[in-house]
Amino acid sequence: MRNFFATQTKTMLLYIIVLFTANLLIGQKLVTGIVKDAQTGEPLIGANIVSKENTSSGTITDFDGSYTYETVSGTTTLVFSYAGYNTVEEVINGRSVIDVDLAAGKILEDVVIIGYGTVKREDATGSVQSVSSSSFNRGAITSPQELLAGKVAGVAITTGGGPDEGAQIRIRGQSSLSASNDPLIVIDGIPVENGSVSGNRNPLNVINPNDIESMTVLKDASATAIYGSRASAGVILITTKKGTLGSKLKIGYSGNYSLGTTANRVDVLKADEYRTLVEATYPEGSPARALLGTSSTDWQDEIYRTAHAQDHNVNISGSTASIPFRASIGFTSKEGLLKTDKFERYSFGLNLSPKLLDNTLQLNVGLKGMLSNNQFAERGAIGSSLSWDPTQTPLNAASVYSGYTTWLDTNTGFPNGLAPANPIALLNLRNDQSEVSRYIGNFSADYRFKFMPSLRANLNLGYDHSNGDGSLFIPGGNTVAFSFQKDFGGGINNTYSQQRTNSVVEFYLNYKKEMKDHDIDLMGGYSWQKFYRENSFRNSDAAGTTAFVLERKNIAEELFLVSLFTRLNYSFKNKYLLTFSLRSDGTSRFSPDTRWGLFPAAALAVKMIENNNNYLNNVKLRLGWGVTGQQDIGSPYVYQPVYQQSLFNASYQFGETFINTYRPNGYDYNIKWEETTTYNVGFDYSVINNKLSGTLDIYQRNTKDLLNYIPVPAGTNLTNFISTNIGNMVNKGVELGLNYTALKNSTTSWDISFNVAYNTNEVTKLTATDDPKYEGVPTGGIAGGVGSTIQRHRVGFAPASFFVFEQLYDENGNVLEGQFKDRNGDGAVDDLDKYLFKKPAADVILGLTSNFKYKSFDFSFAGRANLGNYVYNNVATDMGYIQRLYHPTNYLQNIHRSGLVNNFLQQRNLTFSDYFVTEASFFRMDHITLGYSFDKLVGNYLRIYATVQNPFVITKYKGLDPELGNGIDNNVYPRTQTFLFGVSVDF
Amino acid sequence: MKKWIAFIVLTVSFTFSSCFKDLDTVPLDPNLITSGTVFNNPDAYKQFLAKLYAGFAVSGQEGPSGQADISGIDEGFGQYLRGMWYHQELTTDEALIGWNDQTIYDFHELDWTASDGFTYAFYSRVFYQIPLVNEFLRETTDEKLGSRGVTGQLRTDIADFRAEARFIRAVSYWHALDIFRNVPFVTEADKVGSFFPEQTNAADLFKYIETELLDIENKIKAPRSNEYGRADRAAVWTLLAKLYLNAEVYTGQKKYTECLAVCEKVIASGFTLEPQYQNLFLADNHKSNEIIFPITFDGINTRTWGGMTFIIRAGIGGSINPLESGVSGGWGGTRTTRQFVEKFPSDLTGIISEFNPDKNYPKVYVPGSYQSTPFNGSDSKNALTSPKSNKIYEGYRYFAQDNAELVILRNPSSTLGGKLGDNGADGTLETGGANIKAGSKGLYYIKVDLNNNTYVLEKQTWGVVGSATPGGWDNDTELTWNAELGYLTAKVELTAGDIKFRANKDWVLNLGDTGADGILEAGGNDIKITKSGGYEIRLDLDSPDYTYELRLTSFDRRGIFGTKGQNIDINTLNDVAIFNNGYAVLKFKNITSAGKTGSNVDFPDTDFPMFRLADVYLMASESILRGASGASKAKATEFFNIVRQRAYTGSAGNITENNLNLDLILDERGRELYWECHRRTDLVRFNKFTTADYLWAWKGGVSQGQAVDPKFNIFPIPSADISANPKLKQNPGY
Repeated sequence: MRNFFATQTKTMLLYIIVLFTANLLIGQKLVTGIVKDAQTGEPLIGANIVSKENTSSGTITDFDGSYTYETVSGTTTLVFSYAGYNTVEEVINGRSVIDVDLAAGKILEDVVIIGYGTVKREDATGSVQSVSSSSFNRGAITSPQELLAGKVAGVAITTGGGPDEGAQIRIRGQSSLSASNDPLIVIDGIPVENGSVSGNRNPLNVINPNDIESMTVLKDASATAIYGSRASAGVILITTKKGTLGSKLKIGYSGNYSLGTTANRVDVLKADEYRTLVEATYPEGSPARALLGTSSTDWQDEIYRTAHAQDHNVNISGSTASIPFRASIGFTSKEGLLKTDKFERYSFGLNLSPKLLDNTLQLNVGLKGMLSNNQFAERGAIGSSLSWDPTQTPLNAASVYSGYTTWLDTNTGFPNGLAPANPIALLNLRNDQSEVSRYIGNFSADYRFKFMPSLRANLNLGYDHSNGDGSLFIPGGNTVAFSFQKDFGGGINNTYSQQRTNSVVEFYLNYKKEMKDHDIDLMGGYSWQKFYRENSFRNSDAAGTTAFVLERKNIAEELFLVSLFTRLNYSFKNKYLLTFSLRSDGTSRFSPDTRWGLFPAAALAVKMIENNNNYLNNVKLRLGWGVTGQQDIGSPYVYQPVYQQSLFNASYQFGETFINTYRPNGYDYNIKWEETTTYNVGFDYSVINNKLSGTLDIYQRNTKDLLNYIPVPAGTNLTNFISTNIGNMVNKGVELGLNYTALKNSTTSWDISFNVAYNTNEVTKLTATDDPKYEGVPTGGIAGGVGSTIQRHRVGFAPASFFVFEQLYDENGNVLEGQFKDRNGDGAVDDLDKYLFKKPAADVILGLTSNFKYKSFDFSFAGRANLGNYVYNNVATDMGYIQRLYHPTNYLQNIHRSGLVNNFLQQRNLTFSDYFVTEASFFRMDHITLGYSFDKLVGNYLRIYATVQNPFVITKYKGLDPELGNGIDNNVYPRTQTFLFGVSVDF
Repeated sequence: MKKWIAFIVLTVSFTFSSCFKDLDTVPLDPNLITSGTVFNNPDAYKQFLAKLYAGFAVSGQEGPSGQADISGIDEGFGQYLRGMWYHQELTTDEALIGWNDQTIYDFHELDWTASDGFTYAFYSRVFYQIPLVNEFLRETTDEKLGSRGVTGQLRTDIADFRAEARFIRAVSYWHALDIFRNVPFVTEADKVGSFFPEQTNAADLFKYIETELLDIENKIKAPRSNEYGRADRAAVWTLLAKLYLNAEVYTGQKKYTECLAVCEKVIASGFTLEPQYQNLFLADNHKSNEIIFPITFDGINTRTWGGMTFIIRAGIGGSINPLESGVSGGWGGTRTTRQFVEKFPSDLTGIISEFNPDKNYPKVYVPGSYQSTPFNGSDSKNALTSPKSNKIYEGYRYFAQDNAELVILRNPSSTLGGKLGDNGADGTLETGGANIKAGSKGLYYIKVDLNNNTYVLEKQTWGVVGSATPGGWDNDTELTWNAELGYLTAKVELTAGDIKFRANKDWVLNLGDTGADGILEAGGNDIKITKSGGYEIRLDLDSPDYTYELRLTSFDRRGIFGTKGQNIDINTLNDVAIFNNGYAVLKFKNITSAGKTGSNVDFPDTDFPMFRLADVYLMASESILRGASGASKAKATEFFNIVRQRAYTGSAGNITENNLNLDLILDERGRELYWECHRRTDLVRFNKFTTADYLWAWKGGVSQGQAVDPKFNIFPIPSADISANPKLKQNPGY
């Protein structure tokens, strides 16, 4: 029955094709044949056959790889192509039967992955850029984000300093104020959530970077809108390595060992300078002087170390029983620069990609997992190491607080709670660890209908489960100064656990037809995704005193996203390419009245110049428009009126009873999607005999109905701030990507790639009413006064612009401490004189990568620059003043050198001065690598290499590091400078 | 093929419609209950009511912080009482702060702006309470209760709850009126949602609060008949009194007669002044019969970084011992000004002469059966000393039982040898000799002479004599042993003159103080008393040196300041940031009246007395002076002196009718009610808040103080709300 049906269909299709082309083809010659995979001999379904002379004439193979082509006049050569295979040209030369075997080729160079499908690179209509494993960053890299830093125009990646710390990824700047600005990450077709399970440092560390084949960045809305409500901040598609059919068994090993040190330190006073300053500031016999010690301690030396790291990976790939597979295991161990900080991960990956049912069914089974053990150092040690008086010794045998020197309250003899804790005690006495496991399983079945090879059905199932268990223990018995509690014995004994489960079901149908001048690729599908998380925790002091026990179990929440989507790619004469997509998204986060959002997009591309052999080889113009959304604002129940019960320690006394209270929470029933409309004009080009190629994009992104956390009109809600849709924002920018083949001959090759992106970002609306006096939303918490903020989102300015006083200077340019300009001229300097000055985001970001090979040597480097980014030096404002030397509760503190240099006296004069908002443009060399490859020395291939990561930074900024996600420099974890030796072998 | 398509379409649409239902989620956390089901639990009404009260005390649903009620500010700053305290106290002579938090200096310098974050936080707190009450009233209408089938006792209780909820709303509207004046106005008729509330004015808001209070007056429980912590009729009256007393400021209409009338109702309703002023502010002040309406706190169950935690801990720093206030440590922030301290007489602590500290003299030890751990030689305090280092050791021991026994040790640990006893009770000491035996219980003088191994053990009584004492130089006023304190004490009325101590009513052994250094010498000079009054005399014969302390008991006991290591002045702007400048205020403590530390040294148990009886007396007195009809100045003086008498624990501070005037009442309110969030309102009512009539350190941002723009008599409507609500107009001048 099925065969009959299929045969019928086939016959019918052939008949249609014949009819359709009959008019043009009368009297022409028929060519038939079968197109097969060169390695496996399997027939290739849907391969393209076109006339080289007349590219509008062509056909495709059917389910058994056979084709019938009726030549048009002038055709002497046929071009056989198939996605992922090398193209073959055959001169007809009078033959009527031409069978062709196509060899699997460099997939990624021909095809780019887009949401729910792939497209030939030359046919892409959106701003899509992929980076393959060969172009990734090198070095001691444990997180996938780092691979991409500096590689794609308009993608800024800021990593943290800790081992395996997550990274902030911003694609084309900031698109939201309160909702997430993190791009959607899709791993092998499974959209994963941005958050990380408790106890984990990096949501992407489930993937071993060595297993990644490519990362594709979808930047403009015409590309991202297929992901609808989660695409406003861009989309990154990660594809892991897979086995290839028929390939031989291959075993590879790669490993490296590295040493890391702090590249820079915060400039606080040395012991001698400090002693001199204290003696100059406080008279003889004063309590401050009496406290001075006789030692010379560099407290930063005491907390940092040379961090060892190693990374080992083994992978096996090949094909057994016609099932291509790739399996890998990895082990990573990385110490933090901060003593006691450590990350260890065991990871594995498995991909199986068999084809079944006469190759009509392509299955992909993937399983990725990791198990990590984390030791978290107390990062408070960074700040307290800067604060500690350098004339004191770190250890003191007489100290009852486990032998660590401690500032005591002179009245009570107990630790002084206001004084900085001993940083070494903070590190050594705290045992903060977690064990995190995660696995992502994905199964996809792609079925090409026998009766209609143009039609595919794709089912994609994903299951992403993570589990984090952690504990924090600090001994009690009042031997630990920083967790001292007079009556209850102090210490901490906390445990927590979290599970997160993310399930995905997606199904789509794809109809792809290439017909003469008209190519159609139509896709329509459905997606269902559930996010579930469950927390438990138990907090107590070390002894488990009842008053300090706080325990909650199985606090669960869930979120559902349901979507329908469709996309049409149409190409006319393979020159005009049109894409239209539409996605309808529903989220359980919003009310039934507002939960559905519609996200359309359209793009037009014109291949203006194609395969011209002169200086301009290829030029393609792209025009794109699309609407994307954002709904990721934390709580999944924001629209619902709910009552929240208090914990016991926030209850209220009635008579002799303490009543646990019920609180109705604030809510906004009308909350809805934030929408971003993007316009993009782009060019893809290759010039000078294809030596220079790249992209140029100009875009504007208008975000409206910003999910904004703003004050409610007083009296109208059950809280004072809610998340609601108020405000607009505009991003504009230009991006240029260049890839240049500087040299290429039999012994030498040199490739340079460079990208530069300019972006401006402006808030255009923030309140329901247009109040020009509105000062904006405070943001950017700083040290130096509890609750102080240094930034504002305000209309007419970039988000998070610094909100400061204008510092006055004397005629020699010295700061006049505490004197600020009366900007509004009302005769008084008060809060109304603050102004918005600069912003943390860079105007321009650049990336540069160079790969040079000479015979067996390879030499590469990569660097990045940010221009026009500003940093508020919070270390200087919090620590750079003389009054800080001695605290009235009788302890000494070190100060930042700027306080000595400028002779600043007190903190209130510094905190909001624009003097401390300084330009922090920089160029950072990310890595320099030198390698040598041996043939047949060991196995088939052996390469050894040495890398220096983060060798230098060029900047005018005087603080620790100019590269900060939020523009506030406050006790940041220093970035590592790494020296690495590595080896990779293939057997 | 059509069949296939039809099948796919059907399957897909079926799948879709069922999956779309997934989008209707409800919270899974049992602590989050949807509004539709929460009142299935009958306890929910009271738990919701408790939240209305808790809104004054905690900052969110987790203590001391977490799940905050309001945001946009550090949670501790956003706590109601702390916000009120910033506005009512930091702006006045009673308090200033040395931190660098945001715009916090603006409060004491009286130069805040409409964009002030603390002001917005407190305003938000006020307008958190009001909609919360509105929601409560909407959820407890007869209609809703009927539809939920609420009947019987619960229905009766809910009627009480509703009256109390309206009282809580009236308190917050009163704060809004007093501090912000022209505020948005919402009632239970305004549901939660997006709308712009209308701005009200002082006259209308005054009328509304008055009408509300008069309406609930007879619906709320009678005075002192409600559970502790919950409001009653006296609380309603007190709030009315505060409203009426300031009516002239708010609306230009005098309401002093009405004020006096409600004050008298409170006075007649059974509250009594707490005999000891200090006890009003201690960890067990819930026992006080004076507090009309408290905000309750508890170290275990009601924790916050605002509230009493802030008031107590921020006021401790420098050399002030936090343990003496029952907390683990201070935050070194708040102090007071010289101008405020000077409102108290100069002998504000009442201690005229203090015990002198220990000196390090050679010692022997006299453990015995009289100790709580008998013959505990390692108690190093149990020593006799040789001030002249001549091997003659002397001292006193009190034996609480008859026939006490003791030995002499050369070293605190008997295992080191040198234990001396008296074989044969002959007054000579033998190594390893028998225990020395005393006679009947009492205070014994012990003298050991190791030059010739002899000792003296003699029972003595001690008294105080002299021209300053009631008995003159001939009749001793006897000192009695205070076992808890460990020294001899007597309470005596002294006049100006001299005193001495003597043993056994005889001059054989008498002690005076040569050099007035606090150390007593045998046959020393007379001790001079310059100020007459009630004294507590303490004689310490246990220290190496014999010392004594004279405590004036009839003084104004309300000036509870920390002066140790503190300068009274704050000379420069830099000094504001340094805790040691300005006296500390130690009125509130996390210690019970019995001297025990509260349940948690980090979070006090002490309740905040929002309304208390002494305030009502002073309001009554003031309203008479301001022209309340139907009462005489004599009555005003009587009310005034009631408060004074408690302050002086006697009539020493009483004033006469002629001395009573409004300025005295303002000062008295300062002395009585400082740090209780009344001061700004009082200074405004006396037109001394912004004017040059009264200046204090750093008022207007200069050390000697200066007048500021009268606009500062009220606070601005926060600019955040002006932007959020186009119907609001800013207060004049901002």
